[in-house]
Amino acid sequence: MAAFPISSNFEGDFVMQLIPVDTEDTMDQVAEKCAYHSIGRRVVAQPDKVLRVRMHQTNENYPRDMKVSEAGWRPTETLDIIFADS
Amino acid sequence: MYQIPRAEWYDLTRATNWTPSYVSEEELFPEEMSGARGIPMAVWETYDEPYKVTYPEYVEIQRQKDAGAYSVKAALERDAYVDRADPGWISTMMAHYGAIAVNEYAASVAEARMARFSKAPGNRNMAVFGTLDENRHGQIQLFFPHANVKRNRQWDWAHKAMHTNEWAAIAARAFFDDIMLCRDAIAVSIMLTFSFETGFTNMQFLGLAADASEAGDHTFASLISSVQTDEARHAQQGGPSLKILIANGHKEEAQKMVDISIWRAWKLFSVLTGPIMDYYTPLEHRSQSFKEFMVEWIITQFERQLVDLGLDAPWYWEDLTKDLDTTHHGMHLGVWYWRPTVWWNPAAGASPEDRQWLEEKYPGWNKTWGRCWDVITDNLNNDREDLTLPETLPYICNMSQLPIVGTPGDGWDVKDYTLEHNGRLYHFGSKADRWCFEQDPVRHQEHQSLIDRFLSGQIQPADLPGALAYMGLGPGEMGQDAHNYAWAAAFKKQAKVA
Repeated sequence: MAAFPISSNFEGDFVMQLIPVDTEDTMDQVAEKCAYHSIGRRVVAQPDKVLRVRMHQTNENYPRDMKVSEAGWRPTETLDIIFADS
Repeated sequence: MYQIPRAEWYDLTRATNWTPSYVSEEELFPEEMSGARGIPMAVWETYDEPYKVTYPEYVEIQRQKDAGAYSVKAALERDAYVDRADPGWISTMMAHYGAIAVNEYAASVAEARMARFSKAPGNRNMAVFGTLDENRHGQIQLFFPHANVKRNRQWDWAHKAMHTNEWAAIAARAFFDDIMLCRDAIAVSIMLTFSFETGFTNMQFLGLAADASEAGDHTFASLISSVQTDEARHAQQGGPSLKILIANGHKEEAQKMVDISIWRAWKLFSVLTGPIMDYYTPLEHRSQSFKEFMVEWIITQFERQLVDLGLDAPWYWEDLTKDLDTTHHGMHLGVWYWRPTVWWNPAAGASPEDRQWLEEKYPGWNKTWGRCWDVITDNLNNDREDLTLPETLPYICNMSQLPIVGTPGDGWDVKDYTLEHNGRLYHFGSKADRWCFEQDPVRHQEHQSLIDRFLSGQIQPADLPGALAYMGLGPGEMGQDAHNYAWAAAFKKQAKVA
């Protein structure tokens, strides 16, 4: 377990934010930690959607149970957090 | 006593040069300080500044300017305008003084570099006056706000800001150090006087003077006009340098210097002047939108100057033109949301009337930035101020040192422009910011953004309170909403009426 900094680019928000996650976090946990700093603050919640994580400017979502340590990210990697149907 | 007519001696004195005999020319004018770029001294002697003034004329005019501005200040002091001015306008002054006053003093160092090291005698002559100008600007813009220190500790940031690690101060220093203090004399003449002063300080000072008059702040208006008239003169030092570089095979480098400086200046203005013009200045006193001002002064007039000199519009001109609709709205929202991290009280400028004006000036604003302000407004009206305050840091661009922002809401397009260099991952807010870095990586690669400092453990404790302490912001200094959320309450009233 180790703290790991990422840059969160949250769908609908206007700014990227520094978010500390953990190498043992799953992608769902990463999305949750990012959402804490955007949803209800500047972005409206979408309860019928799920949040998915993907590399910035790509279209492929990471598996929801994949761990940070398995993703091959560089420290401060920029990630898009998007609302998805599933 | 007979005096030789000015016309008979002026050209001789302004172009005085000499051939060194005790030291070599290289020792007298080291290349790293002079930046002659292999162009012979005889060519630099052809430097012809368009605005000419003698020392007695200069002193007389400056005395009159100072007498005028200081008299207005003294006469209006008892009127205590500051105590009844709109809080948004007070914030404008606080932001301006903190970001500008001490940098004016730094600019006198840059002018002194030209006065000593430029190989062009005309440049050296003009830069002596420029040095005196900038020294005066530093003094007057510290003296005027000092009268208000008794009112509020934030006024003290006119002097304090640039001596701290507050994020906006880091951004301003990073830009001004780059174009003013870490360049040779000729580069300073182009990057500071031509690119920044001709293009941007004209806008900052003319626009602000107009807004100050509109707002009834005649003290600030007279101060700003007094500074602006100096800028209009000494900003003309870069044009002749550009002509010499272009005529002697250095157009590409000249263009690059102009392009870097304009871009970096634009980004700083997007966070400082953009919010002031479109959000802080009370609605009834806004003379033009920030975009309208930028289009008139930068996109149209400055581009014409570039073409007249034989240069091209910067390669990113289309991107910059598009950004006029977007960037400063993001910068403003960021400054407002992270308001404890600035030394002034940001005015939200998001009342129902403000939003109508914003939608008119920037069609689509309500569906983009308005979406974020909707959430913020609801939180304030439902006693959830805590959700309108930050709990982490925004990600910072490694060139502008400003948050990486983009369009939110329905037009969501926030983008990071990354670069891996020597094993380090750099983040940039735009293609042009990354390009500025790539032109001279050695110049910028060691600089640490606020985020880099946070991650390397320089900020302790490693949380937002730790960051505020690192930035030097104590109680009574951290920014709050300028109008104590009255603009949000206006929506509540509107709903009740409906």
